[in-house]
Amino acid sequence: MTAPLLQLRQITKSFGGAPALRGVDFDLQAGEVHALLGENGAGKSTLIKIVTGAHQPDGGTLALAGREIRALAPATAHQLGIACIYQQPALFPDLTVAENIALRLESGPGLRRINWPARHARAAHLLTRIGAQISPAQEVRTLSMPGQQLVEIACALGAGARIVIMDEPTAALTQEEQQRLYAIVHDLRRSGIGVIYISHRLEEIFALADRVTVLRDGASVGTHPVAALNETELIRMMVGRELAPIAAPSAAPPGAVVLSVRGLGCTASGVRDVTFDLRAGEILALAGLVGAGRTELARILFGLTPADSGSITLHGEQVALRSPAAAVAQGIAYVPEDRRRHGIILELPVAHNITLALHRRIFPGTWLRLAAERALALGFIRDLAVKCSSPDTAGGNLSGGNQQKVALARWLATQPRVLMLDEPTQGVDVGAKVEIHRIIRQLARDGLAVLLLSSDLPEVLAMADRIGVMRGGTLAAILPGAAEARTVMAAALGRTEQGAA
Amino acid sequence: MNRYFREFSVAGALAVLLVALAIFAPGFYQPQPLLSLATREAPTLVVAGGMALVIICRQIDISVGSLFSVCSVGAGLLAARHWPLALVLPAAVGLGATLGAVNGLLVAGLRLPSIVVTLAMMVTLRQGLNLVRQGRFVDLPEGLQWFGLSQPAGQWLLVLAALALLTALAWGMRHLAVGRFVYAIGSDAEAARLAGLRPRWGTFLVFVLLGALTGLAALMNVVQSPQVQPLSGSGLELKVIAAVVVGGVAISGGRGNLWGAFAGLLLLACIAPALTHLRVEAYWEKAIQGAIILLAVVADGIRSRRPAR
Amino acid sequence: MTVSSPLGHTSSRDWKALLRCHEMLLLYVLVAEWLFFYFAGTSTNRRGVLIGFGTLDRQFDVLRHSCEIGLLALALTPVILTGGIDLSVGSLLGLCAIVFGKLWHDGGLPIPLAATLTLALGAAAGGLNATLISALRLPPLIVTLGTYSLFRGLAEAITHGSVTYTNFPAGFLALGQERWLGLPAQAWLFAAVALCLWALVHRTTFGRSFRAIGFSPEGARYAGLPVGRNLALVYVIAGAIAALAALIYTARLGQAKADAGTGYELFAITAVVLGGTSIFGGTGSIPGTLLGVAAIAVLKNGLACLPVVMRLNAAEEMSGLLTGALLLLALAGSVMSRMVSQRHPRRRPRASRPSPHLPA
Repeated sequence: MTAPLLQLRQITKSFGGAPALRGVDFDLQAGEVHALLGENGAGKSTLIKIVTGAHQPDGGTLALAGREIRALAPATAHQLGIACIYQQPALFPDLTVAENIALRLESGPGLRRINWPARHARAAHLLTRIGAQISPAQEVRTLSMPGQQLVEIACALGAGARIVIMDEPTAALTQEEQQRLYAIVHDLRRSGIGVIYISHRLEEIFALADRVTVLRDGASVGTHPVAALNETELIRMMVGRELAPIAAPSAAPPGAVVLSVRGLGCTASGVRDVTFDLRAGEILALAGLVGAGRTELARILFGLTPADSGSITLHGEQVALRSPAAAVAQGIAYVPEDRRRHGIILELPVAHNITLALHRRIFPGTWLRLAAERALALGFIRDLAVKCSSPDTAGGNLSGGNQQKVALARWLATQPRVLMLDEPTQGVDVGAKVEIHRIIRQLARDGLAVLLLSSDLPEVLAMADRIGVMRGGTLAAILPGAAEARTVMAAALGRTEQGAA
Repeated sequence: MNRYFREFSVAGALAVLLVALAIFAPGFYQPQPLLSLATREAPTLVVAGGMALVIICRQIDISVGSLFSVCSVGAGLLAARHWPLALVLPAAVGLGATLGAVNGLLVAGLRLPSIVVTLAMMVTLRQGLNLVRQGRFVDLPEGLQWFGLSQPAGQWLLVLAALALLTALAWGMRHLAVGRFVYAIGSDAEAARLAGLRPRWGTFLVFVLLGALTGLAALMNVVQSPQVQPLSGSGLELKVIAAVVVGGVAISGGRGNLWGAFAGLLLLACIAPALTHLRVEAYWEKAIQGAIILLAVVADGIRSRRPAR
Repeated sequence: MTVSSPLGHTSSRDWKALLRCHEMLLLYVLVAEWLFFYFAGTSTNRRGVLIGFGTLDRQFDVLRHSCEIGLLALALTPVILTGGIDLSVGSLLGLCAIVFGKLWHDGGLPIPLAATLTLALGAAAGGLNATLISALRLPPLIVTLGTYSLFRGLAEAITHGSVTYTNFPAGFLALGQERWLGLPAQAWLFAAVALCLWALVHRTTFGRSFRAIGFSPEGARYAGLPVGRNLALVYVIAGAIAALAALIYTARLGQAKADAGTGYELFAITAVVLGGTSIFGGTGSIPGTLLGVAAIAVLKNGLACLPVVMRLNAAEEMSGLLTGALLLLALAGSVMSRMVSQRHPRRRPRASRPSPHLPA
């Protein structure tokens, strides 16, 4: 048997003390599509970055075609035929498509003359090969996200890569573009290229992959031929535990309508015609595929991208949410998805982070009252069991789960009427996840109206009183909390007939 | 074409100014004063070319004025010791490149913000020069002015040299791979790293190049007069940055080109003589320059906000 | 100059600890500097009278001369805390001095009214910066570069490049030249401004939000803080303080001219950065800035008293040179501390708010 194209042995990597990978094995044969599966934060992205040389592993070995490679740099990875199509394309926004492709593909002395006609011709050729309707002369900043992804794919094809990594490539593509992508992947496999394919969509994995490796909490759960598995087994491998009820949905009947949204839309962020009611003491989960518009909807409700159509009513009173400050004043709280960039401010101490949204109330007259702040922070640290040495610890020094608790505490401190949680357990360890779930459930029981945005289906099923499914920027369906996973997934994919079966 | 909108609008503004002058102050169009104006601005143009590269690379250098002074005095002192021009020229360029390399090392090597590094460099160089020279002028030997040519010939030589240099730079930025690397690094340094380029090395090199060009420009300035002023470069950094920004090079990096910077410099350079010929007091020049800079950034800001993505 | 850190009972944070450490170091440098000049720069003349650095008069001179740059440095501290910069304060000082002179001399307004209008002008000019930076979200560096040129240009245009306003009444000149309660008059104003800014930065929610904005503008927005309003505020305050500095400058020299305050912005930024305020925003303190101002002022005046420097007649240049070198050293120090405390990957350069020329 020939040596595999790529072989990883016992790869470990941690960031600031938090382990991201704990000894992962992975191999890729020529001419196979190897799917990499795992929940958010399981370590897929880190593993990919190690293969592309963007991160250096802390331990373990990486071998290409049997040859061990040390200190892989992005440039070397590129020369060795490793190409990656990133979730967020790493393109140059100010340059044209042709130039972006050329920067990836051309090598040679810096003082060589550029052959612009050849650049354009090659770009045009590659783009036609994947059937993309993009002009090589277009600036990349004017392209949509799927457009940029197609440019990335064209780059990888043009590089003649032996290993192509696709990180959720279909997340933002239309149906038609997806089909074209499948064809491209089959094409690559036939020509002996190894493809590492990352996706959340199980159906895609069954349609495309030869083998699948499941990652969980930074470790490999196992590698299996896809033909030997079914969906249930895969999901169980990913989640790693039976979906025991985390907390029984509240038996108490939900209270009065707190938030009522009618025909809400925002052209800039692609959200249209969203209508729902949210009651006190209720957890309404919003499910849907990546790019379905959940975060965009939350951003509208938090005043970050104000709506341009429809109405928002809070406690029977119509409100205009033109800025986060206005939303906060109306009692809306939003724990954002990107914890490290938006959820907390890493450099600020925990206490400051907790009071950041509460300035008006805890510091009337704008003078800081440090004792009151400290007491408040200590209270939340105790109630939410935040693990930190003191309220003065910088937020960045906490683990992901504890950072999330601090982000949550910030908003609980404002005593909101509506709490929006965007992927609250993404990238936190299992223990913290259970705790966060318990806290959310308790909040709902105390009468808070909770809007839970999650792409973690088991979480949605376990937590929700009702499940709203978003698709293509609108609320496609509202299902009862007891709905089956299949039904939710079918609604998210837009195939109701399958769900009914 | 939308892509070059900014360059064309600056060129348009320049054209309007020139036409207005032709109608209201035809006295502006006299060959000798125009040639003198062009000669005076030739060194500035050379520095502006280098500055455009640095700004395209998403950095900035406010030490060029001091660097220019140091190189001028240095070149003057060497010439006063009767070094031949063939040695003074590389010495000036080398001195500039070395000082540029110090900036580059601090910015790219230690990843310090370029604005503060070059600020410190500016103060240090200027005061160091004051300390050493105590404001004395350098008297140049006979044959150095205008390279020993007649004045018009020397002027033409300087103007043509500056234009040739600008053309070469503009061509290189468009048609050489390294030029495109500068755009790539300025557009997104992280993506450049992923594409296998070396952003820090590139950043270092543009600072060195700007230093070298400043050294050359200093010499081009020195040969225009029989003496070297000790602080000939003060205020140069602002003039140059203003020209580059007005010419459509985005301060956020990755966008713009040298012809835009050229048009921007011409526009700013024509203001002072235009004011004189239009019988406006020349003291308004700085205020008008400031207003033009603000207008340019406001226009950029509004334009970049319109396409909501 | 206050020594005790304002940061009270919080100590275990790493950036704060680093800052404290920086401040202490700067304090040692300052003390060493002062002692050195006291012993090396003081002598007795032939009649047995003490002259040089050690005299009280000289010490008051140090104070007098550092007030204007000190005020600008104080004004810049909140600006730099938010991750911004204001290059226009020196030019604004010049414009305000001219406008004040013109209002009094040509406009015939009484001094108090002219001074009030000048302060209002400073705030309005700061408001121009603020509007462009916070409402249009333009990069502060280039906006204030434009206003740097604009303000100085207006000052030159008003004076036709040559007019100098003099003959101010003695009552006004006292502000810059007399002593009140034993200290130079302007020192009291300076102390008052320093106290106000200290309270603003260290004791109010505004200061807290400046830090939050400096560390992460997006994070501050997601916390519902009024980012735009607070950003605007720091530039308006900077403008008003620059106008105050213009009044003191005019009173000290007894004249208002268009080139007043040329290059002051550089010394002010140097003092702020030297004082431990991070040019990346977020970290920094008013006492640090005061120490930075003091270190530069003592250096400048002390050098002028050294016999060797006096013989060379190069005090100005020597101090400038050493200030530049100090700034580079302080920067290198900040890099070291960043390397020590580097816990999280550096922010991607392309945040939604363009922040110019901070390193990628």
